[in-house]
Amino acid sequence: MGKIRSRKLLTALAIITLSALVISGCGNNRNESSGESGEGNKNIELSFVTWSYGVETIADNIKKFSDMYPYIQVKHSDYSWLDYHDTIVSRFVANNFPDLLYGSDHWLYEWASAGWLVPLDDHFPKVKEYAKELTKYSIEGMTNNGKIYGLPYYADTIDFVYNDQHLKDAGFDKPPETWEEVYDMATALKNKGIVQYPIVLAWSQKEGAFPETFQSMVFGRHDGDGAFFDKDLNPIFNKEGTDVYNTLEWIRKAYKDGLIDPASLTMTELDQVKSMQSGAHTFTVLPQYNLAELNKPGSGEFAGKFKIGLMPGKSHSTVGFVRFYAMTSGLEKKGKEALDAAWKFLEYSAGKTDGEYKVVERWAVENGLGFAQLPLYDNQKVREAFGKWGDIEIIRKQAQLARAKEGMTTWYGTWDVFARAEIHKAILDQQSTMNTLNNLANKWNELKSQSK
Amino acid sequence: MAVESAKAASSRRKSNAFPYWSVIPVLLFIALFTLYPVYTAIKESFFLNIITQPRNNPFIGLKNYTEVMTSYYFLSSLGTTSIYTLATVAGVILFGMVAALVMNTSIMLSNFLKVIILLPWAVSTVVGGLLWKWILNSDFGIFSGILYSLGFIKEYIPFLSNPVLAKISLVVAHIWKEGPLAAIFILSGLQLIPKDLYESAGLDGGNKWSMFRLVTLPLLRPILLVVLVFETVTSILSFDLVYVMTGGGPADSTALISWFAYSEIFKSLNLGHGLALSIIIAIITLALISVYLRALKTDYTIH
Repeated sequence: MGKIRSRKLLTALAIITLSALVISGCGNNRNESSGESGEGNKNIELSFVTWSYGVETIADNIKKFSDMYPYIQVKHSDYSWLDYHDTIVSRFVANNFPDLLYGSDHWLYEWASAGWLVPLDDHFPKVKEYAKELTKYSIEGMTNNGKIYGLPYYADTIDFVYNDQHLKDAGFDKPPETWEEVYDMATALKNKGIVQYPIVLAWSQKEGAFPETFQSMVFGRHDGDGAFFDKDLNPIFNKEGTDVYNTLEWIRKAYKDGLIDPASLTMTELDQVKSMQSGAHTFTVLPQYNLAELNKPGSGEFAGKFKIGLMPGKSHSTVGFVRFYAMTSGLEKKGKEALDAAWKFLEYSAGKTDGEYKVVERWAVENGLGFAQLPLYDNQKVREAFGKWGDIEIIRKQAQLARAKEGMTTWYGTWDVFARAEIHKAILDQQSTMNTLNNLANKWNELKSQSK
Repeated sequence: MAVESAKAASSRRKSNAFPYWSVIPVLLFIALFTLYPVYTAIKESFFLNIITQPRNNPFIGLKNYTEVMTSYYFLSSLGTTSIYTLATVAGVILFGMVAALVMNTSIMLSNFLKVIILLPWAVSTVVGGLLWKWILNSDFGIFSGILYSLGFIKEYIPFLSNPVLAKISLVVAHIWKEGPLAAIFILSGLQLIPKDLYESAGLDGGNKWSMFRLVTLPLLRPILLVVLVFETVTSILSFDLVYVMTGGGPADSTALISWFAYSEIFKSLNLGHGLALSIIIAIITLALISVYLRALKTDYTIH
């Protein structure tokens, strides 16, 4: 009995000791995160979540930031781009909020309406100053209900890209300016045996850029705002002769005539780039950041031959999209010191340090990422870097003509899932263009009325 | 005496109670990680649960269920899932049976074949899906390449872009991935069948086919039931292979019902719909399993 009692006593003591250690450990952490630094500032810890791109650069940027502000510790973690949205939503739902994170115009309405993100301009008035130097589409993409929710990590346009060597081989000395010219040139390329499928698109149903690419093809034809929806978000595209109708008809015809690679319907962006590099296709539409990869020396026979043409159509407009640094409501609750630290990191990452957009410039120069900060178009380092794989004046012009995606609402995600399959059905001739557009409009109206 | 008998009774009670106490940790574990989530899922499916409206979740009864069942995708994805399940389960069992019979022989290459046949099982589904995606690629896929070089086709076949071929491709990839597991199960069953039964059957003039039909197959029934149940559940819940190979396309032709449960939760952010759909899938699966169990009820007596 005595032995059993002493065992119990030992177990109890062990539990108490462990608990004390755990509690003291937590206490130490708390001291670490809000203790006094040597400079008299309280130590602040910020969690920062990104997708897994350029992780080494992010780590190095954070290190440089820590050198500037030793009392702010930025704890970085990353998730695959393909899982990013779902993982972050799961974290939000589980109340596991990071402080700062990458956001996208694609999810802004969703995340802002749920109260997961907070407007930056509510806390940081300088955001409005920075906004004056940003492209129009990037501000649109970061704005919800008149509030700005981010500062751009990068911003890009969806571009029309062509293989200049193929065009020269086929006897063309300039890129197509309208979709009708694209069709004619593609037919000539096919007939001359230069390529079997002159056009490729990354339109797998799971591909993130599928709706952006489709909208950009419509925007190229369309003058002004409202190609899909009116100001009250009513669909206006389901009529014969609209630019949406004409675009879908064009795609159906090009697909039927063997000008678009059938693999486009299951192709992802990564496959699309590889496929273009192999010389299997001449024309494509993709996010601009891929051009640096396409023209990367040593990436294949056609490295350096890929060029951007303005999006075909009468307006040459396209979709501009923005990925941005955003702040969560979790950080907002941490109080003023955390907010001040967050602003320092946001300004360092997307704003100016010593009067220059140093981090944004670094992404542009080293990784070829597009940017929303207009002064960078005249930055010598950026011009030199972009000049290696593209024509910065065309890039600037396309950016000036770009506008944000239409239909960004809380129900867009649901509609998007439906729309992708419907567009496939039209391309595969399972239903007519008009039926497709009517289905899309009806679904939109149904979701819109449900959201009220 | 009385004290001793009371002690004995107490000790007996303790030893009788021991099995119950010993399973409590496991029961608690199951309750925590299975029963509680299932209970929560069922409960939440009766509430409005749109993730972006965390403060607006009133009780709505069966509305999530009716909305899901009248949605545009429900019947079509149920049809696609049924065809997929039927084809994959049949294919997996057939593949498993043939592979197990080959592995159970004493032919020279049987050990080598065991490795080759079982290899896909060791590959993760995502990696397997990517391999198949590349094999079937319409620009540089090796399968089209071989057919082309042998002169069977004039141009590469867009396997994954054609609604019918995409379905077939998914089924083939699924069988390739799941077949080895079935083969292992069936092989273990084959090795338990006493050899003298075949000898007796041989003495009675039975040929190979009749031995297979009258000896092997009846004795494999319990194993086949396990394979059938497991593979049916696996097929109905297939998601990763679809995600990697086709993304549900083209034109939703490979979008299984589990794909829509995912898209309701993560794309539409409607947890209520996603949960209702998941529970419907679970009910369908349970119903199928109970049908199997009744239909294939095994009589273990060997006649």
